[in-house]
Amino acid sequence: MAGLPRRIIKETQRLLAEPVVGILAVPDEANARYFHVVVGGPSQSPYEGGQFRLELFLPEEYPMSAPKVRFMTKIYHPNIDKLGRICLDILKDKWSPALQIRTVLLSIQALLSAPNPDDPLDNNVAEHWKSNEKSAIEQARQWTQLYAKSNTVNSH
Amino acid sequence: MGNCFKSTSNDDISLLRGSDHHDSSLEPMPFVEPPPPYRAQPEPQQRMPIYHPSPGVSRPANQLSEEEQIKIAQRLGLINHLPTGKYDGTNKKAKECVICMNEFMFGEQLRYLPCMHTYHKECIDDWLMRSFTCPSCMEPVDAALLTTYQTS
Repeated sequence: MAGLPRRIIKETQRLLAEPVVGILAVPDEANARYFHVVVGGPSQSPYEGGQFRLELFLPEEYPMSAPKVRFMTKIYHPNIDKLGRICLDILKDKWSPALQIRTVLLSIQALLSAPNPDDPLDNNVAEHWKSNEKSAIEQARQWTQLYAKSNTVNSH
Repeated sequence: MGNCFKSTSNDDISLLRGSDHHDSSLEPMPFVEPPPPYRAQPEPQQRMPIYHPSPGVSRPANQLSEEEQIKIAQRLGLINHLPTGKYDGTNKKAKECVICMNEFMFGEQLRYLPCMHTYHKECIDDWLMRSFTCPSCMEPVDAALLTTYQTS
């Protein structure tokens, strides 16, 4: 295996030295390409007060291809499915090597503030969102309380 | 084994030649150095360059379809039309290559995109073979190239 590219070392150092408010990203002790991430639920969203765990992996081709990111904490969101996979354009065809771990995680946090049921990954959740937004948001809030509270051990 | 995708001329030289530039690929390559001493054939599988016929797809050169080979050859041609130069420290705006996140060093080969964003030649060429867009502004490079041709 090739050594760790300088870009990954630099990004990691910057992430640890100047962390983004509400986002924690720590490299795994055994694998510098694997990050343990915690994203705080944005205020004025049904995820407020929740601490959402994610895993982020930088593939061999990074930054020529996007990081692989997945929610580990259960979340009720039309663009995130049961397995925690995320429907976000910059993780797919809109990826650019000018993006970074930091910007990816900020985009994911923004996705929590602005669910988009018209481009769903989980059809049931999206249908719920479109047919009765109030009830869907209430459900998202309940799941946040149930699964994303930092003092509870949450797992898929 | 012939490799159609290898660029035949150094970009700097072709730029210096300017208007009297002619298609050097039709002529035999001038000898710059004596040929290397004889060595046993390297394992062809390991030496085979990898190409990306579409985003997210990686394939060795000997496993590309004819269509993909044409697409890649055209892309290489377009990339070679984009100006290059050596970093001399005069560009105050561009100091770091956002792809590798390293600072530009004196004498390093840079490539300039029509949108005026600058990268290490090696870094941006790798990206342009996958997606013909500027990583910083997402501007499609071919559209910008056409505009430059029409206005000049």
